[in-house]
Amino acid sequence: MLAFVLRRAGATLLLLLALSLLVFGLLYLAPGDVARNLLGTRNVTPEALAQIRARYHLDDPFLQQYWRWLTHAVTGDFGTSIRTGRPIGPLMLEKTGITAATAGLAFLLSVLVGVPAGIATAVRRGRWLDRVLVTVSVVGVSAPGFAIGLLLLYVFALGLGWFPIYGTGEGFLDSLWHLALPAVALALGLGAFVVKLTRAAVIRELDQDYVTFARGRGLSEGATLRIVLRNAAIPIVTSLGLMVAYLFGGTVLIEVTFALPGLGSLMEESVLFKDIPVVQALTLAVAFVVSAAAFLVDLSYLLIDPRVRARAVRR
Amino acid sequence: MTSDGSAAAGDGPMAAVDGSTAAMVAAPMLAVRDLRVASASGTIVAGLDLTVAPGETVAIVGESGSGKSMTVKALTGLLPEGVRATGRMELPGRAELAQGSSGLSGRAGLVEGRSGQAGRAAPTEEPAGPSEPTGRSRHAGSSGHVGSSGHVGSSGHVGSSGHVGSSGHAGSSGHAGPFGHAGPAGRSGREIDLAAQGTIWRDVRGSRIALLLQDPFTSLSPVHRCGEQIGWAISGRGRAERVARLLAEVGLPADVAEKYPFQLSGGMRQRVAIAAGLAADPDLLIADEPTTALDVTTQHEVLELIAGLQRERDMGLILITHDLRLARSRADRIMVMYAGRLVEEGPTALVMDAPAHPYTARLAACDPPITHRLPVLPTIPGSVPQPSSVGAECAFAARCAFAVDACRMAEPALAEVAEGHRAACLRPETAGLPVDVPPSPAETVPPPPAVAVPLPPAATVSSSPAETVPSSPAETVSPSPEHSGRGREAAASLFHAGEDQGIPASPLLSVEGLAKTFPGSAVPALDGVDLTIAAGETVAVVGESGSGKTTLARCVVGLERADTGRIDFHGTATGARRVQIVFQDPYSALNPGLTVGTSLAEALRAAGRPKSEVGELLELVGLPAAYARRRPRALSGGERQRVAIARALAPRADLLVCDESVSALDVSVQAQVLNLLADLRRRLGLTLLFITHDLAVARQIADRVYVMHHGRVVETGPVDSVLGAPAHEYTQRLLASIPAAD
Amino acid sequence: MSPRPDSTANGRSRRIPVVAIVSAALLAFVAICALAQEIIAPKALEQDIYLGVVGGGVDGHLFGTDQLGRDILQLSLAGARSALAGPVVVAVGSMLIGFFLGTYAGYRGGIVDMLAGRYADLLLALPAVLLAIVVAGLVGRGYWVTVVVLIVLFSPSDVRLVRGAVIEQAPRPYIESARVLGIRPSRIMFRHIAPNIVPIVVANLLLNVAFALVALSSLSYLGLGVPPGAPDWGRQLADGRQLLGDNPLAAVVPGVLIILTATAVNLLGDWLSDLLDRRVVAR
Repeated sequence: MLAFVLRRAGATLLLLLALSLLVFGLLYLAPGDVARNLLGTRNVTPEALAQIRARYHLDDPFLQQYWRWLTHAVTGDFGTSIRTGRPIGPLMLEKTGITAATAGLAFLLSVLVGVPAGIATAVRRGRWLDRVLVTVSVVGVSAPGFAIGLLLLYVFALGLGWFPIYGTGEGFLDSLWHLALPAVALALGLGAFVVKLTRAAVIRELDQDYVTFARGRGLSEGATLRIVLRNAAIPIVTSLGLMVAYLFGGTVLIEVTFALPGLGSLMEESVLFKDIPVVQALTLAVAFVVSAAAFLVDLSYLLIDPRVRARAVRR
Repeated sequence: MTSDGSAAAGDGPMAAVDGSTAAMVAAPMLAVRDLRVASASGTIVAGLDLTVAPGETVAIVGESGSGKSMTVKALTGLLPEGVRATGRMELPGRAELAQGSSGLSGRAGLVEGRSGQAGRAAPTEEPAGPSEPTGRSRHAGSSGHVGSSGHVGSSGHVGSSGHVGSSGHAGSSGHAGPFGHAGPAGRSGREIDLAAQGTIWRDVRGSRIALLLQDPFTSLSPVHRCGEQIGWAISGRGRAERVARLLAEVGLPADVAEKYPFQLSGGMRQRVAIAAGLAADPDLLIADEPTTALDVTTQHEVLELIAGLQRERDMGLILITHDLRLARSRADRIMVMYAGRLVEEGPTALVMDAPAHPYTARLAACDPPITHRLPVLPTIPGSVPQPSSVGAECAFAARCAFAVDACRMAEPALAEVAEGHRAACLRPETAGLPVDVPPSPAETVPPPPAVAVPLPPAATVSSSPAETVPSSPAETVSPSPEHSGRGREAAASLFHAGEDQGIPASPLLSVEGLAKTFPGSAVPALDGVDLTIAAGETVAVVGESGSGKTTLARCVVGLERADTGRIDFHGTATGARRVQIVFQDPYSALNPGLTVGTSLAEALRAAGRPKSEVGELLELVGLPAAYARRRPRALSGGERQRVAIARALAPRADLLVCDESVSALDVSVQAQVLNLLADLRRRLGLTLLFITHDLAVARQIADRVYVMHHGRVVETGPVDSVLGAPAHEYTQRLLASIPAAD
Repeated sequence: MSPRPDSTANGRSRRIPVVAIVSAALLAFVAICALAQEIIAPKALEQDIYLGVVGGGVDGHLFGTDQLGRDILQLSLAGARSALAGPVVVAVGSMLIGFFLGTYAGYRGGIVDMLAGRYADLLLALPAVLLAIVVAGLVGRGYWVTVVVLIVLFSPSDVRLVRGAVIEQAPRPYIESARVLGIRPSRIMFRHIAPNIVPIVVANLLLNVAFALVALSSLSYLGLGVPPGAPDWGRQLADGRQLLGDNPLAAVVPGVLIILTATAVNLLGDWLSDLLDRRVVAR
């Protein structure tokens, strides 16, 4: 069991290491002189460039530079933002709250609505409720969050005035009120995704022989559904892990749309400004969160799938 | 929704039944009238009456497309979406049965009172002998009784008797459940409209009827413990004890309750499934091919278990099977279905020994015997039609040697041929007659002249065991030379054993010490296998799943690489001309996107032969050359397998490996393909390596046989000695597990 | 989009469902706009700075104008080109990579399979849109540069999809028979396996078009795709965001167009994959 966990953790770390190399390579990927890139869009003198080269050890071999960056990054030291001149660690930390709150809210919303809706559509496969919900979920999957966000903003904030147009609010309830629209905009696509995956998973299980057998020996539909859900939990949890990645892609656009000062906005600004150290740090952070989510999903199989558990114990 | 016109079958036989005073009659516990099943694309089951008495075993036998599986799904309200049933099903309460079925079968008045499980004179315990049918016939002809039982019961039997029948059962709550849905039948008896959906089935499934499925590997939830799964159908306290008792009943240790299905073998899983099915104490168990997915030794155990449970519980049993031999060994009555129609029903002994429908007779004949080899297997020409494509005619007429014009004018009704024995045939007397047309491998189509030639006498295989059984059959390999037909002389001369005892002087293929372990597997798939095949010989490798027989075949054709050991081809051929293979599943044997002609042409081109031989190849396997333009989906299973054989023949390879090549086919089609292979062997001098789990098939086709078990060859020798006088304990066990033919 | 009236529980009606017809019609319209941009929306880029932003119906502008005084209707119709061209190229490009690499990796295995697998692992550990933002932002801001970036980012999942389908086909008897017959691997891969995974590929192609449409307009929305001033729905949305008070239609019209087009492509893809699935089963 412990070996299983360690092996999965090892694989995750290896993946992160590879990703960090990729992320660090971004600096060199950008066309033009590295030092100039590090200075962003400012006009610079040759002296300033030389200063940058020295400060970032740009004349060292690539791997040495990478190693220095990585060992610092592990301790939370991602360097200094070119655009703001502030250390990146604290900069990211202070913006994490908003992003975490929005993304968490969206995640919660989409799971709490999406999973039951997916189950309902699967059980009523082919009926009108299924068709309507499936079509709606296709719209949800298709619609980009920012387009939905703008429409929501127009209707509920500008038109009806039920929600604030921008800002993050003070205190829990006020924050909730401010983050409601962004979270809904983010959750719509996510929730539709959850509906689709849940529906597919439950339908696949409903078609299994064990369901026929359960019914054939007199179990009620409710009891049968409980068995089905227990089995469908495995693919559903897997898809929830995938959603974390999806969530971070959407956050950038939503935060820009609603002018929320979170990590997404920071990312957008840094990319446009070519503030490469910040982009590196943010990308690495996202990779870390996504990999951690995948790791947690792997571990959750131990809980929900006895076959995985048995294999883990045997090894 | 059927009209209230009751089944036509009722009254005729009744007089006879009423007149007789046979000792035991059990009133039916299940009576189905005029069951019809249809989907958007047409009829699936076209009218069926069915009765089962407590303790009785009724086998429904049919090939694929006969509608037998849809029948049981309809009886449990589990039809897939888009498939609808009509008809009525009556389930008299146990109480009514117990009170004296006299109330039910009114006029008969000779039914012994039966209370619950007491006073069992289980029909299953009685041999199905000639003296028996009188008793049996009552079930058969009793649909008429049942027709009236609903009305009788509705006025007569209500009230206190509700629990009498089920007093012996701990889980009787199901019976006491909401009978408010019940129609006019009264409190404990039920009449169910088979077209109904939803809640009405809740009171039927589990406590009245339980359904056991074919595949134990998929019929249990993979993520729940076995004990939990058994317990689902048990409500109230004492669940754990009940589960433990059920496990003991099916012969499993108590700790199985804590195990997950994936930790158990197939046989154990099927036992768990049986325990789960019995948890709500059903009166009737419907077992849909319950042992088809299991190995033969396990099959036997599971069938014994079901029979024992049935006796103890006085349970009715409907056994759905494609296997006539199995039906004969287990059933009191047999119902034969063909293309969605019931063509014959009656007591087992009558149906098997004096069949009244040519289909039954032919089907039984197609089943290869295990005890001896037939020169040519009887077959039924053509293949089973779609139930929906059958018009106003006898569904079997197109394949029947005795069909007359009248057979093609209207669908024959079931008619009584003996007490309780009915057949839907205008000429039931023909069923016992031999078919004089010699079956050829090309029956599906106008046979090409080359194939229709009667077989030369030399080809008849009639080796007397005494001749070929040496003192130690397990060791000796001495293929009998009498199998050589035309063009076999050269091969026959090779059959003189060399100095190295048991190995032909000049083998075509020799395998030595072959071993393979698949990555991640603890046990080896092959564990030092030696095998030789002489040119022109047919060698069968038999064994159960996991014996390594398929891995051996795959290594021989090069699809798998062995870890150690040698595979030597002694012929001059190389590449594709050395060895070809025909697989099991006809449905994925051909590329669905290519026409038959394209597939064959490609095989020819790869072997450096001209494309023009496609027609010849098709005719060689008994298909018209025009089939080249067809796509696989327009072909039946048997036809696809013929094309697969033709493709394998294209390079004219020295050795043809058949990996369970007839196992997925219906019995009648299997016989056709086996005959084809035997014929090809004679005509082309083919050397065959035949992998099969079916000893009877091995007996029909092979000269020598290797028995494999756990990756090793445990016994080898001429087929007659190995299967006639097995030396190894495992071979003996395999043979003993096969349902006896008589 | 009403539920299909023709499909009963059985649902196997031969008729094409209304949803698919409506989707196809909408896509045809968008495609015509994209192809005949110059004819349908000749004045898309005509600015009227003196007019500036006006609401719907003013001065003959049905949907009003944007801050540069450009007609929203014309601009939106013209935006069809970048909304369709790029995504189609992305979907086709990544599917070609996926098809060849996936088929090879799935059938032959070995080092190619290993490398393709690791490459997919790496790219799939990061959200595609996020990576696209980063790469497009750092590499360059042209529309076609972005398209190429998206091809690279989309291809791993296509490789995986095709590889999985090939691995599923490879042990089937008809493939193994071909192997035993000595047919060349390249022929087995592309004559036998490939046609039988086409349904999966085609259905996924459409889903990818929708996904690429969303991704490309997301990038444009952030100012990373098309150059400023070009007709593009994502760009229009970004511009329209500032104008929600003056002319909300400047944002609403392109927003609705993106949603409708992407939905239509997805619905068509779903329908097609259902249809092809059934066809495969029917075999």
